[in-house]
Amino acid sequence: MLLNFDRLGWWKYALLTITILAAAFLLLPIFFIAALSFGSSQWLIFPPPGWTLQWYGELLADRRWLESAWTSFKIASIVTVLSVLLGLVTSFGLVRGTFLFRDALKALFLTPMILPVVVLAVALYAFFLRVGLGGTLAGFVISHLVLALPFSILSISSALECFDKSIEDAAILCGASPLEARIRVTLPAISHGIFSAAVFSFLTSWDEVVVAIFMASPTLQTLPVKVWATLRQDLTPVVAAASTLLILLTILLMALVALARKVLKS
Amino acid sequence: MSTYSDASSVSAPVPRALRRAGFSGVVPALAFVAIFFIVPVAALLLRSVLEPVPGFGNYAELLGSATYLKIFANTFIVSGLVTAISLLIGFPVAWALAIMPGRLASVIFAILLLSMWTNLLARTYAWMVLLQRTGLINKMLMGMGLINQPLPLVNNLTGVTIGMTYIMLPFIILPLYGVIKKIDPAILQAAALCGASRRQCLTRVLLPLAVPGMAAGALLVFVMSLGYFVTPSLLGGTANMMLAELIAQFVQSLVNWGMGGAAALVLLVVTLSLYVVQLRFFGSQNTGGR
Repeated sequence: MLLNFDRLGWWKYALLTITILAAAFLLLPIFFIAALSFGSSQWLIFPPPGWTLQWYGELLADRRWLESAWTSFKIASIVTVLSVLLGLVTSFGLVRGTFLFRDALKALFLTPMILPVVVLAVALYAFFLRVGLGGTLAGFVISHLVLALPFSILSISSALECFDKSIEDAAILCGASPLEARIRVTLPAISHGIFSAAVFSFLTSWDEVVVAIFMASPTLQTLPVKVWATLRQDLTPVVAAASTLLILLTILLMALVALARKVLKS
Repeated sequence: MSTYSDASSVSAPVPRALRRAGFSGVVPALAFVAIFFIVPVAALLLRSVLEPVPGFGNYAELLGSATYLKIFANTFIVSGLVTAISLLIGFPVAWALAIMPGRLASVIFAILLLSMWTNLLARTYAWMVLLQRTGLINKMLMGMGLINQPLPLVNNLTGVTIGMTYIMLPFIILPLYGVIKKIDPAILQAAALCGASRRQCLTRVLLPLAVPGMAAGALLVFVMSLGYFVTPSLLGGTANMMLAELIAQFVQSLVNWGMGGAAALVLLVVTLSLYVVQLRFFGSQNTGGR
């Protein structure tokens, strides 16, 4: 009876009210930022006295904003490619391998997911100071790859675990080379896992801020670092404009994932 | 969790060749993780007992000074508050999600996902603006005549708690939803048939059945909160610094690697031991964190 929506009596309305309030609590700040980015008040007064595209203009006119967005995009793209390739090779080893300590290794590969990011950030910062990778593109890529790889291994290996290996063996019996069978039979079958690995890796890198704060140099910074540095000074509406563009990107990626799930799973 | 392939399910002693089968595939990632994850973290922790002089001086200072103990206490207080509030809001929402009509549930799910996927900085910025003295929240409260003066809602404990709860809420709703969804409605029907009132059904049947899931979800949120850096430093004041900020400050502004390493080790030990507790006690539970 408590698990039947229509037999809850007045409790039903209490539950619905809390749920709708919680949903509003989660949703409204996101809408609020989007509305604010078109508001004409420099002091972020809401509702704004008028509407304007001025903040977007400032954002696009400022070379440093554009450069940091481009840097973020470059890093995230390289991280995505490396993360998927490394994740693929590793997942095949983890799912099909029979070597000693296989499960312990899998646990090790997933550890960066649960480690407080600030510890990794500080550790890599010290390490890169020693080896001279601080403030370089390679430093950014490596540190983001440490964070993205666990997601990639997780997505691809769970897809691979659901795949029946005898189909691949059948292709080999029909005359395909082992590599050909893997590329033409297995990879298409686990494509949804590869796709989520790619999206997760990209977003992990694109949104990452803690490690990036430590990696950044005056000449090389990612978009989140630029947002962070701006916010430490003031709450300018330019950040609202940047945030709105980030929110749009999120919605776009979510739609893409939903679409891909439909297409790849069918 | 792991499903075994054909070769490893053979109960006979594993032939020598199979003990290394597939290992070459994990070598590149293993090398990468060893060089760029294990070595740097181990080096940082080592520095805590080597710099400025070998010994446990850094730990004595960290655990013996009132300033740092206050930061530890504050970290636990904020994480505890955030966990408690998330659980209070999250349980009814998860319960409603598990039984509401599918169409409505999928709208709520979409909102949960959108919020989770939206850039953390953007979400934190939203609260910075909403909670400021001239912000919308203060304006609304004053408009309703509830307060005469703007409340200080940001750069203090209130601000951090609101911002962190906002971020953690989806992380507790999703595992709780999974737990409630798995409960067999027949159990509650049986309780009702035996004459239990609605309240008794809730307190004696539904809540006890959901407790393992609640504990697992709460532990996950608590551990995640302990290590948060961005949101506390933007929404909190200097008076309520959290452990992650302390680590960053030791390294960035004080350039004290020994103390930074020591503080990092404390955070790491607390985090990992809580995860071990979670795996030990709720390993079979689906906690969403997997």
